[in-house]
Amino acid sequence: MRARSIDRQARIDDAFTYAGLALVLAFFGLPLLWLISLSFRDAAEVLVSTINPIPDNPTLDNYKEVLSSAQFPRFLLNSAVLSAIGAFGALAVAAPAAYAFSRIDFRGRRALMLAVLALQMISPLVLAFPLYRYFASLGILNSLPATGLVYIAILMPLATWMLKGFFDGIPKELDEAALIDGASRARAFLSVVLPIARSGLTAVFVIMALLAWAEFVIPYILLTGPSQLPISVGILNFQGTYATNATGILAAGSVIAVLPAVLLFVVLQRFIVGAFIAGALKG
Amino acid sequence: MAVAASRVATRRPARTRPRLPEQVAWLTPLLVIATLFFLWPVVNVIRLAFTDTTLLRDGYSYTLQTFSQTLTDPSLPQVLGVTAIFVGASVAGQLLFGLAIALILQRAVARRLHGAVLVRSVVLSAWVMPGILIGVIWQIVLNEGPFGLVNSALAAVGLGPVAFLSDTDLAVASAVTANIWRGTAFTMLLLYAALQTVNDELLDAAKVDGAGRMRTLWHVTLPQIRPVLLVNAILITIATLNTFDMILALTGGGPAQATEVLALRTYNSVFVNFNLASGCVFAVFLLGASLLLTVIYRRILREDDE
Repeated sequence: MRARSIDRQARIDDAFTYAGLALVLAFFGLPLLWLISLSFRDAAEVLVSTINPIPDNPTLDNYKEVLSSAQFPRFLLNSAVLSAIGAFGALAVAAPAAYAFSRIDFRGRRALMLAVLALQMISPLVLAFPLYRYFASLGILNSLPATGLVYIAILMPLATWMLKGFFDGIPKELDEAALIDGASRARAFLSVVLPIARSGLTAVFVIMALLAWAEFVIPYILLTGPSQLPISVGILNFQGTYATNATGILAAGSVIAVLPAVLLFVVLQRFIVGAFIAGALKG
Repeated sequence: MAVAASRVATRRPARTRPRLPEQVAWLTPLLVIATLFFLWPVVNVIRLAFTDTTLLRDGYSYTLQTFSQTLTDPSLPQVLGVTAIFVGASVAGQLLFGLAIALILQRAVARRLHGAVLVRSVVLSAWVMPGILIGVIWQIVLNEGPFGLVNSALAAVGLGPVAFLSDTDLAVASAVTANIWRGTAFTMLLLYAALQTVNDELLDAAKVDGAGRMRTLWHVTLPQIRPVLLVNAILITIATLNTFDMILALTGGGPAQATEVLALRTYNSVFVNFNLASGCVFAVFLLGASLLLTVIYRRILREDDE
């Protein structure tokens, strides 16, 4: 009798849990569904007030228009270039530093690590004005490689903390054994620690690439010409510029712009989420 | 890379002590980048805040006037007020939603219900999007034109249209809603992880003692994840305080500056009004607020360690 009432209670609770899941899905999913729906509507249908997400005459014209525009593919390419520079560069700078923080016991280590954490809290908006002035006087405003360097800088603190977490998880005995065998520290790092940390490196790389893909303030301020903009800034140019089916085209452009990041994230989420939580809460 | 390593190894036998402390070589790239792209700009942003520099001419002189002019600007209270509402409501909403979703997901996973992974994926999708796109999406969803999702739904039941983006009060609420949509995933992730660490025996004991669910949540679960909650609150406060990309695409700061938060004002002072020094004054305040929050964050984590 008692077991059955507990069972019934659990079923009622399950119903509430499902209701909760449905509400969450509606709030977070419906805007995305709506965006996708608009991206397949033609100019006439965009102007019809309806809550049916499936268009009567689905069309690919919006996507064709976006991809054949002069700017849009360029924006995607620029985003890819900046993300690659930022993510590779951040790893290259952060990995040796994270290794030193993890393995070498030196004076001021803790203070220096805290300083790196404090860097993470400095908004790119604070850095952007002096950099704008500096870049202008050097004549490197609107340069993708120069802006990529700033990406490396703003991604570096988080990358360092995350990688330190991964290196801490690798037994010290492994690289100590290599050192006793006569290998240098650099050698122990490159041929013992890095291969073991490969999954961690990959997770951090993907997170850095995602953050770079979404970065806004730095490119918005340091890149000025439309041919250099990444998609995270360039999509603003599509807001309200097209005469015929402005909304449909904007929707199609938005879908294309978020697709790489969302797909990458959903496929690798288990992997990335663990690394992210470790990075945010350790220390 | 391996070649470089072996060259290092042959040039200097491993056991001899290098003259420089060995950490120097490992940390040099980080220190160089930190100096060029953090230290140097921060020093300069503070220095420029005490000048009258603009984007329109080259020279400048040192003065305290920019500070006093910026701080006595009659529109500043409005900006600070909107910022307080935007940040406060966003953080409160993200904490509440994030906790609720984490609890729902935890139960769904424990009971092996369907759909938990789908829900988590959708929530996380919102989080990895560039802010401008989030602004664009919500600008479409809340639009007063026929293609606006919410107004279409209202029209279907004979209501509306509601001026979500052009009414000054509603525009602030819309910006907060969009920002909650954007940031809740982060809180959900952290709190979901924290909930896994809550002591099951205490939960069972509370149940045996006949404590209701809300009481158990309030008196048993939440105290155990308190440090994570606080750290989480601080991280999202810093993030929200410093962003304006989403608002730029959603309302552009309007109508009539109703949604012009401090970060957007900071940008506008420099690139709309060309007053670089004034923008630097705002930047110094953003910097101060963020660093203060960071100190609190450290203190919480340290107390947690002890």
